[in-house]
Amino acid sequence: MFNFRIMQFYALLKREVLEHMTMFLFAPLVLAAVILLAVIWVMNLLTDDDLAVIIEYAATLFNGLSPTEMAPIFMLLAIPFLVVLLVCTLAFLLNTLFQDRKDASVLFWQSMPVSNLQTVLSKIVAIVAIAPALYMGVLLSLYLILVVWLSLLGASYDVEIAGLGYMFMAAAVSLMLVYLSAIVAGLWLLPTLGWLLLFSSYATRAPAMWALGVFFALLFLEDFIFGSQFLVNWIESRSNPAQYVIFSFSDIFDRLFNYDMLFGVLVGSILISGAVVMRRYTD
Amino acid sequence: MTDIVHAQGLEKSYGNFKALDRVDLNIPTGAISGLIGPNGAGKTTTLKAIIGLCDVEGELEVAGRDPRNARHKLMEEVCFIADVGILPRWLRVNQLLDYVESVHPRFDRARAESFLSTTDIPARKRVKQLSKGMITQLHLALVMAIDVRLLVLDEPTLGLDIVYRKEFYDRLLNDFYDGDRTIIISTHQVEEIETLLSHLVFINRGKIVLNTMMSDLEERFTDLLVEPGKEEQAQALQPISKRSTLGKQCLTFEGVPRAQLAALGEVYTPSVADLFVAKMREERHV
Repeated sequence: MFNFRIMQFYALLKREVLEHMTMFLFAPLVLAAVILLAVIWVMNLLTDDDLAVIIEYAATLFNGLSPTEMAPIFMLLAIPFLVVLLVCTLAFLLNTLFQDRKDASVLFWQSMPVSNLQTVLSKIVAIVAIAPALYMGVLLSLYLILVVWLSLLGASYDVEIAGLGYMFMAAAVSLMLVYLSAIVAGLWLLPTLGWLLLFSSYATRAPAMWALGVFFALLFLEDFIFGSQFLVNWIESRSNPAQYVIFSFSDIFDRLFNYDMLFGVLVGSILISGAVVMRRYTD
Repeated sequence: MTDIVHAQGLEKSYGNFKALDRVDLNIPTGAISGLIGPNGAGKTTTLKAIIGLCDVEGELEVAGRDPRNARHKLMEEVCFIADVGILPRWLRVNQLLDYVESVHPRFDRARAESFLSTTDIPARKRVKQLSKGMITQLHLALVMAIDVRLLVLDEPTLGLDIVYRKEFYDRLLNDFYDGDRTIIISTHQVEEIETLLSHLVFINRGKIVLNTMMSDLEERFTDLLVEPGKEEQAQALQPISKRSTLGKQCLTFEGVPRAQLAALGEVYTPSVADLFVAKMREERHV
């Protein structure tokens, strides 16, 4: 029975990936292709002397660094991927429970022996853990291409840039840090995730308008009735990326185990429970 | 015979509109039950309540469970086909089979594939690329490969041509129904399912107007083609409906002994369609 439940959950995750292939896979692939094309384009603009200067600079930059120390430099390349992932995550959360009610396919999904809790959890796991993993897969391919290309380029100028093995290891460390950052960010931003899912589950049209409208209405009411700005301050206090981005493995414990994180997870869980209850009624 | 669906005092409102108004409903296990009513009568709300997709007040038990608390458990024993548009349009046929195989413990993939092999549905096509008739065939293939106790069909053949409609019901009877399973069909096309039914429910304005076994119809309802000159005598027996057929007056009676009516003209059992119209007219005059 336990195995069957695991298989059920795997099928739910697979369904999310298949349904959102554009967000989960095509978007990072297109981004990687754009970055590669941009590199090729810039290469064509540079002279041999410019290239020699750049290779010397890279060799100096990486000189004496361990893979762990090199990793943050590699992480810079992950920034555009994380931005695209964030945009896709917001779009996914706002639409995922709304869309299947809009096209009536919710009646089919609900006609299967899968609970609403399983369905909603699968959506969260898909966007918080599976989507970043797919992005990291694409990023890994990009790293491999660029590292090999950089090493070959260095060799053609008789310069060794940190060594191929070292750079592969740095790329791997960087990917792990980026992936962990994405997971920690998912947990840190769980109240936002829950809020968007709640309105995706509730709204009969324009879930984005509902999510934003109710949010601003709450801010206004708090200010108008109590004369306080607790909500604004709380959100401001949680909006610094340094609170969830991990630059070294020793950061993980601090990022995960603190009262702010636990309180956010609690608020997020309550909102997600609301989305589960809302989904129960399709009429 | 035990009841697979037992409902008492079901109520559901949308604002001021009462979709279900103290509905009492019992559907016997093994029956093929027709849930018949005009648009907005409460058919879909009743079916949604039965499968736990609609929050209703009142007592409700389906296959021994309360669908409001245990929908996903209930769905191991109940299947549902609504209007043809509910299959996810972005999925491919084989992906749909993969999904159902993974989430439904009673799904027999080989049986579904065997059924699909008798159709023109390609495994690699997406649902949105299939015709309406093919989508219904696909959904039926899924449902027939699931070993369930209750099948709920809400207007399953809406918008299909006569060939697909006939094939749908033929398959349902030959390949799904075994006498132990229960089928509830809601439809407008009464004539098409009349011969299949063993149980009949009429619903109008959220209320159950008729809930009977088909075998009791003959005893309970009689159509009388009145002989000229006996119209007044017939009217005195308080028919529930009156219409003209071939220049003669045809009256429908409920609960009047057939022998008594036979003295006034030709008697016969009304068709479900005629009975439906008669009951709706009676309701209108209440």
